[in-house]
Amino acid sequence: MTDAMAANDQSRWYSALGAVAVVLGLLLAVSHANEWMKQAVIAAATPASQQLPAANCPEDELAEEGLSVAECKHMVARVQAYVVSAPPWFPTVQIVLSVLGTLAALASAALGAALVNLRAWAPRVASVAFAILLAIDGAGFVAAVNAGPIIRSEYLWPTLLWFVLHLMLLVACVAAIHDEAARK
Amino acid sequence: MQNGYSRSAVLIHWIIAVSIFFLFVSSWWMLALPLPSKELTFRQFPFQLHKNIGITIVILLVLFLYVRFRHRPAAAPAEHMPGWMRKLAIADHVILYVLIFATCLSGYLSSSYSGWGTTYWWLIKLPYWGRKDEELNLFWSDVHLWASWLLLAVLSVHIAGALYHAFRNDGIVRRMLRM
Repeated sequence: MTDAMAANDQSRWYSALGAVAVVLGLLLAVSHANEWMKQAVIAAATPASQQLPAANCPEDELAEEGLSVAECKHMVARVQAYVVSAPPWFPTVQIVLSVLGTLAALASAALGAALVNLRAWAPRVASVAFAILLAIDGAGFVAAVNAGPIIRSEYLWPTLLWFVLHLMLLVACVAAIHDEAARK
Repeated sequence: MQNGYSRSAVLIHWIIAVSIFFLFVSSWWMLALPLPSKELTFRQFPFQLHKNIGITIVILLVLFLYVRFRHRPAAAPAEHMPGWMRKLAIADHVILYVLIFATCLSGYLSSSYSGWGTTYWWLIKLPYWGRKDEELNLFWSDVHLWASWLLLAVLSVHIAGALYHAFRNDGIVRRMLRM
């Protein structure tokens, strides 16, 4: 393979990797931001006794949202189940991880743009960002594992999926760095 | 004519993108929260935030279209964009803009007829256009729902197109990812 062909392959690889990083970075940023809001809202609106009042299910609201009375009551029960099953440390850990996750995800999207723009420094910096995201996923996984079965059922699988996606991005970045080094 | 979009257009495009996806993710969660009462206030903040971001998207989209048409980038080279692809891209963009407007406007109208007021970013109390009217609330709520599903479908085409050009490394995506 000639040098020109290898360089063309390399730039195509950076472009593809960067675009995937941008899309995943944006989706992860909103996912973390939503988690951050979720924890803050539940903490703020839950009474100190941790016992939620009875559901309010007026007919017009049920019709508007296409809900049955049973579903309306279940909405309160779902939040109550979360409040009862989350250990006291869990919301704080989730808020910290999701704030860090939002920032790291936005950084990874910006670095994805740098990869698409074929910046020479981008693969190294992006690999650090993906490693940080991997660490955040790992910490989230450990937190969920230790938070009981109800929390595990909600958090473990999505966290594992993101972990695998970030692992793939990190390995792709490292492969690109090694490829570049071998070409030189 | 410049090769890529202007920096302002790039910045606004990405802010709108993040905002739209945040509205999708957060709305699926907030609609499963308990219906509101004096004691059950879980929906208060997420709904206000949803409306604030939606209204901001409309303002940003108007700004984006202004910047986008004031600083037009050079057309993509014909070898990277055959005729049918160019037509598809134009149609996708036009439908995308229309659907963003339709989704945000129908959401605001539905909210107006629901009887719940909107205070823009907790600072500016918006005029109360509608009256409490359950039928109109339901109508605009349905429009909002279906427009948002359509928007999601058209966004998928938009993202697929962007990824296609990035995988081909033909420089088209780079125009919206200027550093």
